[in-house]
Amino acid sequence: MEQYVFYILAAIILVFSFLTVTSRMILRAAVYLLFVLIATSGIYFMLNYNFLAAVQLTVYAGGIAVLIVFSVLLTSQLNEKMEQVSLTKALAGGLIAFAGALLTILTIVQYNFRPNGLPELEPSPREIGHAMLNYGDNGYVLPFEVISVLLLAAMVGAIIIAKRPAKLLNEDRTIIDTSYPSDKNAYTSRTKAEIDSLLK
Amino acid sequence: MNLNSFLLMRHELILIAVVLLYLASEIIGGGKNKRFSLNFAVVLFLAVTIIGFLPISTGTMFGGMYQTSPAIILMKNILNAGAFIVFLQVVSWLKKEENDNRIMEFFILIVSTLIGMNYMISAGDFLMFYLGLELATIPMAALAAYQVYNLKSAEAGIKLLLLAALSSGIMLFGISMLYGASESLYFTDLIRTMEMNSMTVLALVFIFSGLAFKISIVPFHFWTADVYEGAPMSVTSYMSVISKASAAFVLMSLLFTVFAQLKEIWTPILYITSVLTMTLGNLFAIRQRNIKRFMAFSSIAQAGFIFLGIISGTQMGMSTVIYFLAIYIFSNLAVFGVAGAIYNQTGKELIDDYAGLYKTNPALTLVMTFGLFSLAGIPPIAGFFGKFFLFTAAMESGFLWLTVIAVLNTIISLYYYLLIVKAMYITPNESPIAFFRSDFYMKMGLILATIGILVIGFIGGIHHYIYNLSFGIL
Repeated sequence: MEQYVFYILAAIILVFSFLTVTSRMILRAAVYLLFVLIATSGIYFMLNYNFLAAVQLTVYAGGIAVLIVFSVLLTSQLNEKMEQVSLTKALAGGLIAFAGALLTILTIVQYNFRPNGLPELEPSPREIGHAMLNYGDNGYVLPFEVISVLLLAAMVGAIIIAKRPAKLLNEDRTIIDTSYPSDKNAYTSRTKAEIDSLLK
Repeated sequence: MNLNSFLLMRHELILIAVVLLYLASEIIGGGKNKRFSLNFAVVLFLAVTIIGFLPISTGTMFGGMYQTSPAIILMKNILNAGAFIVFLQVVSWLKKEENDNRIMEFFILIVSTLIGMNYMISAGDFLMFYLGLELATIPMAALAAYQVYNLKSAEAGIKLLLLAALSSGIMLFGISMLYGASESLYFTDLIRTMEMNSMTVLALVFIFSGLAFKISIVPFHFWTADVYEGAPMSVTSYMSVISKASAAFVLMSLLFTVFAQLKEIWTPILYITSVLTMTLGNLFAIRQRNIKRFMAFSSIAQAGFIFLGIISGTQMGMSTVIYFLAIYIFSNLAVFGVAGAIYNQTGKELIDDYAGLYKTNPALTLVMTFGLFSLAGIPPIAGFFGKFFLFTAAMESGFLWLTVIAVLNTIISLYYYLLIVKAMYITPNESPIAFFRSDFYMKMGLILATIGILVIGFIGGIHHYIYNLSFGIL
């Protein structure tokens, strides 16, 4: 029984990953990715990694996928199709992907994994929490804290990219204020020449 | 663990404090006073750089996740000093009106990447190593897209982000294979259990690819020229020196420790990529007209030389790599400093524009000449000793042909570095760039870079000092 569930999940993951990278409609690709993420959490459930499966569902399927859909909706024209990839490019890419996959799959399949001697860890939230805040051996408090620095830096970086340049903001306040929100693309639809002339 | 052992992490702790202080100053001052923001950022970082050089003990923490050694601390100090010079050189550009509401963010992002590099250098397990690498890369993409209204800058940002994500993915896959093979991510465990089999070899190749992307080794270099050209001059300068030097150092220590057992696998890898990198970097550099693209290919070629020291596997090789990286940082900063000063003043960044620069701006020309001569390796400037020791290290380990190829490449590189020197001194130009004065910070930045080049070259004790700190494969 378990075997069949695994095969079904694996088939879902394979088919939808393939569709994700081949679909030319970006919103569809995002939705296909959502199915891949959900099926992956199913595999975690099969392995009894309940906590990880829950995280996978809430953070990836719930959070990240929705985030991707939102950013797609905010940035691109929905009915716009992505450029058709030329046949030679598709063939070359497919060949490289196939060779790479073959190499890694063969390596992993023929490798003789030994069970380690460590006692089995109960993957409960309690154990995970202890490991997360432990500063001794096999403790993860340092990476846990460094990730917070990474998040801070990423937020500052996102602000930098989202911020309008000062000069555009000051001289152009009237245009931006009156045109918002009816013309959200007032800034982005400007050509480079227009922006350069404003900056001068 | 007590407070004393916690202070082993002083470099990172101070940098995190600096980020918070920068943020606080922005919140309190509202970023209104441009002059204050700039002075505060630079002076604070000067203090950080000086504190970094104070004596500090070494050891491991967090169950081995974090480790320091004298060589690691020296590398962190070199990175701090390089970042400080970048700060000095960036001030005149940040003063421009177009950057008005985004001054502090620049410093915050740069210091964040520096924190990442410090953790990456100090990592004692692959998790910290990977986190440090990401912390050094993601803010860098935001910095490359700093002038996001400029299409080239935006393109540089997205290119760097996408390709870095791809290379991180490949590297993570390699790390997970290593974990599968040896049940641990700690370097100490891996060193103990590492043995040669197809799994670990594939892991080595994947992890090497991830780092080779950061150092822009051929064939992982395709992003370099475009990103360097699109990013603002100071970001390019920072990326080409600090980012590259830290990744090269980490690659070296990983190969010498974790992958020491696989030496016979990574020696040919390094051999081939080194030859490709030196040769292709040099050949493409000759064709470039834009100074940033030119420096991109020049920095690719320089990365090939670094491999000469790593491939030797000896203590001499390792100390020379650190020595060479220090020289490379100062030389590149001298060249980029002058290019940045000229760009800020005139908006010109083509090599042809530099014609006749000697007549109008002799001081800038001199600094640029020092930098270029050092990169080319002309005696008695520091770059010569760096290359000379690298060649010696490779020769001692029996890599005769590699050294011959490297020497030939040095000659090619001499040609194109001298093309710029020729343009500045000899090529006649009816309308050369007019004389201009740089501000105090820019002057200091250029002077410090020049002093760095000269001092490292002329004081013989420095190489000896590094030699005593470093280790090789025994």
